[in-house]
Amino acid sequence: MNRLAWLWIGWAAAVQAQDARQIMEECQRRSRANSQRYEGSLKVIDARGRTSEKRWRYERLGSAGNSKAVIRFTAPAEVKGVALLVHNHPDRVSDQWMWRPAIARDQRVAVQDRGTRFFGTDFTFEDLEERDVDQYEYRLLGSETLEGEECWKIESRPKRSKSSQYTHSHVWVRKRNYTFAQIENFKRQGLVRRLRYRDMALVQGIWTARTLEMHDLERNSRTILYLEKLEYNVALSEDRFTLQALRRES
Amino acid sequence: MKAFVLAGAAAAACWAQSFMYRGFLDTRVFLYPETAVNDSGRAVGEALLRWEPAWRAAPWLRWNASLDVRFDTHRQVEREARLDWGDRGLRRPAVSVRRLSAVMNRGPLTLEVGKQFIRWGKADILNPTDRFAPRDFLSVVTNDFLAVPAARATMEFGRDTFDLVWQPRFTPSRAPLLSQRWTVLPEAVNALALRDAGARHPGGSQFGGRWNHFWRGGEFSVSYFDGRNHLPQFDIWTGSQLLPVGFQRYFPRLRQYGADAAAPLRWFTVKAEAAYFTAPDQQADSFFQGVIQLERQSGEWNFVGGYAGERTTARRSRVQFAPDRGLTKAFLGRAGYTIDVNRSFAVEFAVRRNGDGAWVRTEYSQAFGQHWRATGGFTWIAGNAGDFLGQYRRNSHISLGLRYSF
Repeated sequence: MNRLAWLWIGWAAAVQAQDARQIMEECQRRSRANSQRYEGSLKVIDARGRTSEKRWRYERLGSAGNSKAVIRFTAPAEVKGVALLVHNHPDRVSDQWMWRPAIARDQRVAVQDRGTRFFGTDFTFEDLEERDVDQYEYRLLGSETLEGEECWKIESRPKRSKSSQYTHSHVWVRKRNYTFAQIENFKRQGLVRRLRYRDMALVQGIWTARTLEMHDLERNSRTILYLEKLEYNVALSEDRFTLQALRRES
Repeated sequence: MKAFVLAGAAAAACWAQSFMYRGFLDTRVFLYPETAVNDSGRAVGEALLRWEPAWRAAPWLRWNASLDVRFDTHRQVEREARLDWGDRGLRRPAVSVRRLSAVMNRGPLTLEVGKQFIRWGKADILNPTDRFAPRDFLSVVTNDFLAVPAARATMEFGRDTFDLVWQPRFTPSRAPLLSQRWTVLPEAVNALALRDAGARHPGGSQFGGRWNHFWRGGEFSVSYFDGRNHLPQFDIWTGSQLLPVGFQRYFPRLRQYGADAAAPLRWFTVKAEAAYFTAPDQQADSFFQGVIQLERQSGEWNFVGGYAGERTTARRSRVQFAPDRGLTKAFLGRAGYTIDVNRSFAVEFAVRRNGDGAWVRTEYSQAFGQHWRATGGFTWIAGNAGDFLGQYRRNSHISLGLRYSF
């Protein structure tokens, strides 16, 4: 009897894990696009309520962790022309280079600690990377209503091969359209960052959050990223994602 | 008529989309607690207006320009109102074309022609292979790059990049002025009437090539340069009753064989750069120079630390101005801390291995709104008179800056 109970528990856990993984796979399938372009407007609000703003243009070629991306800052004026080139790999940390017009040279960025905040915002470098479904293990925690929407609540843990600053995350997925509603990221000390996905819009057949709000609970500061002029499957050539392109365009 | 208006509006919209610019107005004050033997000034004020327009004339063609207008209180800037193109003067030009180039791109080929910045190397503190990058060293520890007139062809094939550069006209680095504190003269020499006979600029062209390859674990380059050292050596003649003691700058031939590499490892990113220099006309030293550095980002901190070494294989130079060599046989480092989205703090240092010279710079920077940034810093220099860094021990200073970016 005891053995049967263990078998049932094991089977139930396997089914749950399968369900959670299937949900995440469906999320990835529905959001998959060969390329993406948007203009980002970023507002950082610190614990004292002081705000600062940044703008950038983002282009990505490829998807699901095997992609190349360029971020070019357009505002404020002092960072205009600064650009970041990222080559994401599914099996290892990304290669990153920074172009600074002031020194007219690309510099390889050290990415040992992807918990480093991105240009003083509440997003870390890791938060801005795409999540590849194969790099995590999943467990379905149940269903919850979040901001009036029925969601699955799923726990994701990075696989051993995946280096991450977070021990695990809780992901809320909207049942209606398989989009992320919220991600809570945990470190050993507990919940550290909460990312909310808002202003959902159907862009070229892909449900997309046009507002992302990251709350750093340790610093009690928030960063809101607005995606404007968003396009998917844009014709972008490989040669836009090279070091020479960084130099040419900056 | 309506068609003309519509066409004009469309053209204006296209122009607005393809034309962009950035720039700043920077004002800076340097306060020196000590006077120097040849310079009694304790405060130097500088103002720089820089405007950098860029125009994408066609998908394959982009024009880049940069214009500078300068003024200062210490006569480091020329007082003549002329438009300078060559950047060859002893003083900084008051109005200059800092950059003007056309960048053309077709397939794997990028061709840039005109006055441009060419930067080689992977290290961050000292770049032995960066041979097309003369600098303005009027105040030695606060320097800026000078562009060079050149044609540069870059071909990119997957993981390999080939870079070929031809520079038809020489651009020297700007060395400190005789009458100012960054030229350190012995007391005895200072008492004499010195005659600065300017510079002998060489004719002929320079060229170089570089191959960069990146692979799964990192990237490396090898490079070659044949041309002139942009840092001067000096011809000195002793005085007589008729002729005062005088000197003239000249720029010896230089051939460089270089290599650099960067590899991100689990705990650090390792960057290394090395070059061997020979003098085909036997007028300068032959020497090896190398730098190795470790770099890591940790939370809001960024650390870079390393060692720069040098070994002279043939000594021929007598009197030279060589800040690149002055920073070798030294431990070099930099740490930066991002306090928040508006504020940052940084410290940089160089300490000679034998302890004869040290330089430390700290800087705090804060942005106000979208356009303004204030910077305050302190530079401390110490050491022996015979050391390149140590000779500037009377030049420790405070710097205060205010910049409006647009």
